[in-house]
Amino acid sequence: MQWQQDDIKKYVQAKEYIDTIIMPLQPFHLTKDEKIAQTSYENEILTIFSNELEKELSGRTMRIPSYTYVRSADKEKEIERMKTWVTDIQEQPFEHLFFPTFDMTWKKHEINLPGNLIWLPVTQVEEIQSKEFKKWIHENVLQVSELIRSYW
Amino acid sequence: MSDKKKQVTRRQFLNYTLTGVGGFMAAGLLMSPLRMAIDPVLQPSGDGDYANVGLAVDDITKDPQPVEWEIEQVDAWYKSDVTQKAFVFKDDKDEIVALSPKCTHLGCMVSWEGSESHPDQFYCPCHDGRFTKDGTNIEGTPPTEPLHEYEHKVEDGMLFLGKAYPRGEA
Repeated sequence: MQWQQDDIKKYVQAKEYIDTIIMPLQPFHLTKDEKIAQTSYENEILTIFSNELEKELSGRTMRIPSYTYVRSADKEKEIERMKTWVTDIQEQPFEHLFFPTFDMTWKKHEINLPGNLIWLPVTQVEEIQSKEFKKWIHENVLQVSELIRSYW
Repeated sequence: MSDKKKQVTRRQFLNYTLTGVGGFMAAGLLMSPLRMAIDPVLQPSGDGDYANVGLAVDDITKDPQPVEWEIEQVDAWYKSDVTQKAFVFKDDKDEIVALSPKCTHLGCMVSWEGSESHPDQFYCPCHDGRFTKDGTNIEGTPPTEPLHEYEHKVEDGMLFLGKAYPRGEA
């Protein structure tokens, strides 16, 4: 399910079946010219990845809007803010929360996160329409969905 | 300037005018039959709804195999390439069957023999939904209708798939 009108209407009818949240963690910044392109690229492909992951497991997962934060922000403070999202999410019967991200700085704070971090190493491709990139997405979606299923 | 204008004689003027008007009339008359004659060329849409999935008919076996292909999908705001998936096999009557892997319960992707304890079945990992090989939902599992089936046709030995429709309504 996506956090979109049509899917949410279905969700409300069938919420006992949907117990897993996919919440991508996406950094944002416009400082440091030399890094903006890379961060925006990562943002783009994490969005594609998360949507494809949702498609694979759409009957039991909800892909909510990405948790977006300023790249340089203090992670512990961000975790406090993230917890307010999670408190809201848990008003509904969600049991599993997964946070896919390319931002490796979360790894050190993983233990304090209110859900399961899925840190993926980023892949560099010239063209996101390329076969190579599609294959990368496909393989990662399969592996990560297997990981998610192991929690069910 | 006025000298030049006088160089056009009455005969020439009439000639130009008639040729011009006649030409338009002829073109107008020719347009419809011409358009009809080449219409099949302009409209591949009969085929457009079917996509070559890159599988030769000879390679289709009794075992469901996954195929993927891309179609261009246009919704109100975006045009995007969407990956379509199907499981293709030949049934006992040697007929080609192409089933959509989208679970009819809530839309997860099923896989053939995805559960070790249920061989010869499609299995949905989300809520343990199961379907027999012909796509029929197994009672006692969450799905309430069979897997959808793609329209298919064969051209030059290659498999083409169209739209998926609910079984029983086709």
